Amino acid sequence: MLFCSLFFLLPLLAMARFSLQNVPVIRLGWSTLLDKWSLSGVTKAFGEQEFRDALGLSVKLAAGTVVLTLGLLVPTAIWVHLRLPRARAFIEFLTVLPYVIPAIALVAGIKVIQPHVRWFLNSDLSLIPFYMVLALPFTYRSIDAGIRALDLRTLVDASRGLGAGWGTTLRRALVPNLRTAILSSAFLTTAVVLGEYTIANVLLRDTLPTFTAMYRGPEPQGSYGLALLTLVATTMLFALLSVLTRARRGSADVTSVALAAVKSETT
Amino acid sequence: MTALIYSAVRKTFGPTVALEALDLALQPGELISLLGPSGCGKTTALRIAAGFEKADGGSVTVSGADITHLRAHKRNMGMVFQSYSLFPNLSVEGNVEYGLRTRRMEKAQRRARVGEVLELVQLTNLAMRYPHQLSGGQQQRVALARALAIKPQVLLLDEPLSALDAKVRTTLRDEIRRIQTELGITTLFVTHDQEEALAISDRVGVMSNGRLEQLGTPREVYRHPANAFVARFVGSMNELPATVLGASGVRVGGLAVTTDAAAAHADGARVRLLVRPEDMRIVDHLSGLSGTVASCTFQGAGTVLGVRLDVLDVLAAVHVAGVADLELGERVEVGIDGTRALCEADL
Repeated sequence: MLFCSLFFLLPLLAMARFSLQNVPVIRLGWSTLLDKWSLSGVTKAFGEQEFRDALGLSVKLAAGTVVLTLGLLVPTAIWVHLRLPRARAFIEFLTVLPYVIPAIALVAGIKVIQPHVRWFLNSDLSLIPFYMVLALPFTYRSIDAGIRALDLRTLVDASRGLGAGWGTTLRRALVPNLRTAILSSAFLTTAVVLGEYTIANVLLRDTLPTFTAMYRGPEPQGSYGLALLTLVATTMLFALLSVLTRARRGSADVTSVALAAVKSETT
Repeated sequence: MTALIYSAVRKTFGPTVALEALDLALQPGELISLLGPSGCGKTTALRIAAGFEKADGGSVTVSGADITHLRAHKRNMGMVFQSYSLFPNLSVEGNVEYGLRTRRMEKAQRRARVGEVLELVQLTNLAMRYPHQLSGGQQQRVALARALAIKPQVLLLDEPLSALDAKVRTTLRDEIRRIQTELGITTLFVTHDQEEALAISDRVGVMSNGRLEQLGTPREVYRHPANAFVARFVGSMNELPATVLGASGVRVGGLAVTTDAAAAHADGARVRLLVRPEDMRIVDHLSGLSGTVASCTFQGAGTVLGVRLDVLDVLAAVHVAGVADLELGERVEVGIDGTRALCEADL
């Protein structure tokens, strides 16, 4: 446990020292451990117009991806559980593919179709469908785990038997009971969007990760400071999720999926 | 009050026939239990009435209106499931008023109705609790209240007691019957527990392999089973090898037993005589089949003796009223009353 903690924390500490200590790298050591800590590198980045634009775009992309992913996945996963239970294994396999296939392969595919859908790819928000695909292995699993923890068929039957249509059943009987899974899915999607670099870079979009990479040239400290900040923010999101999950009973599966996903995201 | 009628309802799942032309009519205010082993089609019949399954053929009518193709949420059925099925995110009150909200009932009316049904199931003091804060019995009473709140035309109960422990099951069973009688609501009750079915039903339908084998009052089904399946499934039954002696009797071991059931078989045919434990009795010396007491199970109101019969080498169950004054290993003689016995060809 201690070894695992050190394995995880030491590189982060090194990163924090590099980005937040105004000490030349060559002099970083035990004797300078407490010297000249400052957020100036990061705050300087906050002052850049490009940073604010990139952050704004990433937030918009995250929000759009979360909304569309949940809008598509929640009804789909419920439908699969109710109507196509035998297809679950196949669908799970499909949703894992984006995890197995490198993002650069997806980009190569985009390049092939780019001349035909330029009208679509011209928009900054055209990244959303690609991010939805990239987040699929985490989001689908999270929602799937939430559904498995419910007695879905009985809840649906009970609701329909009481006179509720599909819309009401989804809104009043299912979504509230999938709240933890949905939150987890939303956080995972956000983490994916805030961390994705390859596609945004190839499609020449200025998102937070591309800005962070670009900023490494003129301000390496600020760049790593931003990366660290992003990591801390996503970790806090998942800590919050963990607290919310513990507050609700029977959601252990969802938490474990989320935590496994954030681990893979950070590595 | 409402009548529910199944007319030649058929349902298959792939190659499996779940229901084979089911004909069943529930009279207004009647409680019918569908009783049968797992996979006999009883739950399918219930789910077809609720609209959760579509019949392949035949029709279902409620008060004369054909509801065969009506969607589940358009039917006015109250259903209680085996697995509680309460919405975990809603309190008891929220669960009970769920169906009233879907019907867009005004808040004041809704509150009044919720109070009414919670009082009916004696849960008024738990209105603000959540399902995970309730016992199994309480959850099932909430489910019952939720089903009744919408004033359903028919109440459908899908093994609502099977997840409960014995004592709660008996209490809730009686409570269901009390409420059903009080409201006069037509009710279809599905169970695999014969004791439950016999205890609370106006009529019992025994099902096997998608067919309704017999429909009758609990007494009819128990005392005059239509066939060997019903006889074996409802209550316990001794099966004794016998030989037909003309139209009015059989010989069991060395004992001649008078029974009308022999008439359906040829003279001298080898058959199995099906006799209830209470139709066998301990008799005086040399007037029955001799055997040895092998077990003695005290059941409160009576005792069931297991007697190993010498000639047949069969362990027969014999019901004795009160406490049997017999020891294990004691020699006894067993007489048979064939009046209500059945004969089945011994293949």
